Amino acid sequence: MTALLDGLDIREASRAPLARANPAAKLAVASVISIGLILTVDPVTAGVALALELLALPFCGLSPRKMFRSSWIILLGAIPAGLLTLVFGVDDGAILIGLGPVTITEGSLSSAIAITLRILAIGLPGVVLLATTDPTDLADALAQNLHLPHRFVLSALAALRLVGLLAQEWQTLSMARRARGFGHGLKQTLGQVFALLVIAIRRGTVLATTMEARGFGVDAPRTWARPSRFTWFDGVVVLGGVLVAVVSTAAGIWAGTWNLVLT
Amino acid sequence: MRNTPWIGPRLYGAVAAVALAVVIYLVGLPEGISVFDTTLADLTLPIALFVGTAGVAITAATARAGRWRVVDIVTASVLGVAGGLVFAVWNAASTPLRDAMVPPTSAIIVGVWLFPAVLGALVVRKPGAAVYTELVAAALSALVGNEWGFSTVWYGLVEGMGAEVVFALVLYRRYGLPTALFAGAGAGVAVGLLDSLIYYPETLGAAGKLAYVLIAMGSGVVIAGLGSWLLTRALAATGTLAPLASGRSAERV
Repeated sequence: MTALLDGLDIREASRAPLARANPAAKLAVASVISIGLILTVDPVTAGVALALELLALPFCGLSPRKMFRSSWIILLGAIPAGLLTLVFGVDDGAILIGLGPVTITEGSLSSAIAITLRILAIGLPGVVLLATTDPTDLADALAQNLHLPHRFVLSALAALRLVGLLAQEWQTLSMARRARGFGHGLKQTLGQVFALLVIAIRRGTVLATTMEARGFGVDAPRTWARPSRFTWFDGVVVLGGVLVAVVSTAAGIWAGTWNLVLT
Repeated sequence: MRNTPWIGPRLYGAVAAVALAVVIYLVGLPEGISVFDTTLADLTLPIALFVGTAGVAITAATARAGRWRVVDIVTASVLGVAGGLVFAVWNAASTPLRDAMVPPTSAIIVGVWLFPAVLGALVVRKPGAAVYTELVAAALSALVGNEWGFSTVWYGLVEGMGAEVVFALVLYRRYGLPTALFAGAGAGVAVGLLDSLIYYPETLGAAGKLAYVLIAMGSGVVIAGLGSWLLTRALAATGTLAPLASGRSAERV
């Protein structure tokens, strides 16, 4: 659990241009690319998008080790999905391998490749861009650049900061329960999770009172300690994302493999 | 805002609902599709009336439920963060399960990703609580890192809206077991449609997609609906929810 949350609070500051871009721009890039790819299932569009993403990778400021650590999980999702399509997909074209009810045909092979490439191309930009995004910067960008309601954005950020405290509470609870002679079964663990949830809500209500005592949530104009700026460079980054989506879709249409998923 | 409930977004919401109803009436629904031997075109007038009145009623209900207080927002955020931690564990723990099961059967575990939506709405009882809680949980799940990246956040939005629709249709007045079960079903249908559209467009045929949506709905009803209702009841019994709307209706011991 703690390994999962490693580095959630403090992301290392990177000097790479894409890592330093405004989180709102990163959000836009990842969203535009996903929308472009969700519309179609074809190997050309997904392949071109993936190739362009790999070209942009050196500018994202991730060391190869960290890169692998945050992206191996996409492979974990993409490869089984491709295998499933290969074996159970709608049969079409010449049979390549046939074992009773399980047949691998040209049609299912090409859609398996398309599905795998598609999941990789949708997942990669999000995972890579999020790995260099600090939650605080993200909240600042959401509230200041995208103008989402600041009460909600800042409360979510405050609640996120409780995670570290809750890890300590978990330790305390474990020790207290061990002192009382509780075992380690599933029922005990669920009971401890419930106790932690009660503590979390209690802390939340106290936190709300404290925040209100300091003037949070009044209808006065808000000022910001950390101004979040959307510069021309962030505009270029967004444009780059749009370009990846447009070029890959154009390549798919040009190759004649682009097909709208809804039809 | 507290004294003038019919201002700003709510007015636009009500006007938009009426406008949509007028558009439905003027354009008419397609002839081709029929439900229970009645073509949709014959249902144009009742559906238009329903859309208009329901839209106005829901916007009025959001005014009645009142503005979110800070304690509502923070509690919903905490529940969202708790849900996000559960997601982080479940994303990793469920991978072998998902790989072992073939779609549409794999939809059976999808309910775990839907519970924050129903839980948030049951605990906080404010319009938008389902969407907000699920969105926070999904955002944390994406920040911790998972195989779906930023699209997790869009998934969270759609799942939350699937549950939110049910709470809106009961005009944010009923928070009992039936509403919870229907909200779980709504979120399940939403995620089932999204999954079969994005992940299995070619793997599953029409029947497979229908089965996937139905299994996701069942999973949503049991895990997200019943589970969240039981959890809310247990939380209310501890007295933690006292500052919230759900705690005030808790049984006195």
